[in-house]
Amino acid sequence: MSKEALAARRSALKEAMTRENVEVLVLFGNNWHADHLRYATDFGIQEGQGIALVREDGSITLILDDPAECERARSDCTCETIFAPALVQEAKKQLSRAGNHNIAAAPYHLLPYGLLHGEKDLRVTDGAKIVERLLMTKMEVEIDAVRKAAALADEGYAIFRQAARPGRKDYELVAEMESFFRANGVPENFMIVGVGGPEVRGMAPPGGKILKKGDMVTTELTPCFDGYYAQICRTLIVGEPSEAQRQAFAVYLEAMEAGIATVRAGVTAADVARAENDVFRKYGLGEYVTSEYTRVRGHGMGLFPDQKPAILEDVNIVLQAGMTLIVHPNTYHPAVGYLVLGDSLVVREGGHELLCGTKRELFSVPLQ
Amino acid sequence: MRRGLMAWDPLEVPASALADRLARLRAELAREGVDVFVAYTNIARGGSVWWLTGFTPYWNEGLLYAPAQGEMVFATALSKRVAEWISSVMPAGEVTTTPRPAAFIGEHIARDGAKRIGILELDDFPAGHAQAILQASPGVELVDVTQAFARARNESDAVERLLLTKADALAQAACAAVDVSSAHARDFIAPAESVARLGGAEECFTLVAGDLGSSRAFVRTDSMGPLGETFAARVSLAYKGAWTRHVRSFAREAKAQQAMDRAHGALMTFALQSGESLEQAVARNFGSLGEIVNWVAEQPRGSYPLAPVANMAQSAQGFTAHAPFVLDVELAIEGRRWVGARMIGL
Repeated sequence: MSKEALAARRSALKEAMTRENVEVLVLFGNNWHADHLRYATDFGIQEGQGIALVREDGSITLILDDPAECERARSDCTCETIFAPALVQEAKKQLSRAGNHNIAAAPYHLLPYGLLHGEKDLRVTDGAKIVERLLMTKMEVEIDAVRKAAALADEGYAIFRQAARPGRKDYELVAEMESFFRANGVPENFMIVGVGGPEVRGMAPPGGKILKKGDMVTTELTPCFDGYYAQICRTLIVGEPSEAQRQAFAVYLEAMEAGIATVRAGVTAADVARAENDVFRKYGLGEYVTSEYTRVRGHGMGLFPDQKPAILEDVNIVLQAGMTLIVHPNTYHPAVGYLVLGDSLVVREGGHELLCGTKRELFSVPLQ
Repeated sequence: MRRGLMAWDPLEVPASALADRLARLRAELAREGVDVFVAYTNIARGGSVWWLTGFTPYWNEGLLYAPAQGEMVFATALSKRVAEWISSVMPAGEVTTTPRPAAFIGEHIARDGAKRIGILELDDFPAGHAQAILQASPGVELVDVTQAFARARNESDAVERLLLTKADALAQAACAAVDVSSAHARDFIAPAESVARLGGAEECFTLVAGDLGSSRAFVRTDSMGPLGETFAARVSLAYKGAWTRHVRSFAREAKAQQAMDRAHGALMTFALQSGESLEQAVARNFGSLGEIVNWVAEQPRGSYPLAPVANMAQSAQGFTAHAPFVLDVELAIEGRRWVGARMIGL
């Protein structure tokens, strides 16, 4: 990302640390939860684990336990980088050297046990208050990156549609997607798929299923740009959709549009979820919006592809301008199986900015 | 995230092989007076739970609990809907999806009356999970059993070797598929990703050192630029959870490429001779080709699918000579940098 954008992030972090009276912030990360680490360092960790120490004077030390990752960080990042196979011991040494400071850490529950326990325990508090709001509510320079990721998601879905042909295996579709994303500068993509009919109750990594006539092929694509993720969810049919598939899709389209129409600064995540779920309830499908059949009705996105707020009827986080979300009423439909539809957007005062441009339709791919 | 092929084939990974591994681990734990075993897993640290169950969570995290007797329990925060799918690709252990996997495991521990809880890599274990276990099973002692696990996993069994052989073939094919005529590193590496995933790679990390003349750092596609006179591809991939790496160097100029091909040939025929140290073998294989600048050997270590176990500065940090390993070598050949890596000892 640009030097200016990273400087803006670091400045926001420093301001939040000052507000909370924190002198050293410990950020932990790995390839699953890379967001906290990336916010301060702009390093997208791929293998092993890393800890960044962010000090009140603005200096940052990045400690990594993989030598090749350390070489990459030295090439990509501007902060001091240390290779330490014993990551926890090195972080402890660095923190001890800093003296008896007010130390906070995030994500606190994932912090290595050895960092908090030992002969000389460090007093470390939960740094969620400092980081979470920054991760959820983006500055315009960050939204620019999410916007670019959404454009890549649209392009990616066009490739996915071309790749989906009868006789192909599900993982072959992923191979085409990933090759396209690498060629276009995307290092990471969150992607799961579903292939089949009423027996399919969710999406997962591909298992070798062969596409055949009448299958619903569901996917959520989530490429990133400069570390920021955006998602698109669509369903396609191999061949012409059946009447049942068309009718089911109409419910999901109405639900997604109801959810999106609700999004604006000041409403809660619960309000959005309720708008989506009310549509299902209207058609007698209320059972299928419970946790038995669906996880969430959308979620935040940013440096983590599935961040707060979760769009659920019991989540009362107030949406703020600058949050980036996907609204997706993805769930199981008893007549046709698991069906998905979702678009990414930015929460704005009085409304939203839609990021995805792919048509909201039940796509079909020719049998030949 | 893992987004390539994830499937269990009982011909590749028989449940009996996993049972043998668990028995070896239990014997080592018993020697240390430990009652039960707990290991943490996520996509960056899937090595240990995969070795015991054949499964790596494609996303999120999980905890594996192995009581002294009976079935293992895998608890994950992945959503309820995927429990059935996990069971279909995880041949050992019962699956539970719960938002609080550590508390769930802690309750199991309390029910089993275990007192000494063996934790793999206790220092690196997430503190929140340790706390949840201690709260759910008061009075237990957490004990680090990293060494006991390492002794149990000391050997690479036939099942692992078979998967590694397939992974290695895929990684080689992927590296051979790069487009050396490309001007930009992204176009150069994209075909490698395609070949790896079409061949059934569960995960694939494709990186490029775009100008070996200035740096040997391998970067991801978001940091890549134009290719220089000499450059290299690095493919790290997993096939059914078994990880390998392959690195190959290229040159624009024909004579330089010939020198690189000779070094690559030496890497492809590299083998440890009886009684020979790794350091001696590297010198014997590469010493005549150029100056040996650096080398690193990687093997699975605890939850890490691949981790450095020996290098030029410290030749033995935990290297197991009779198990397969990835050898990564850097040479200076007539003023040019050459880098190469592959799995040895299959």
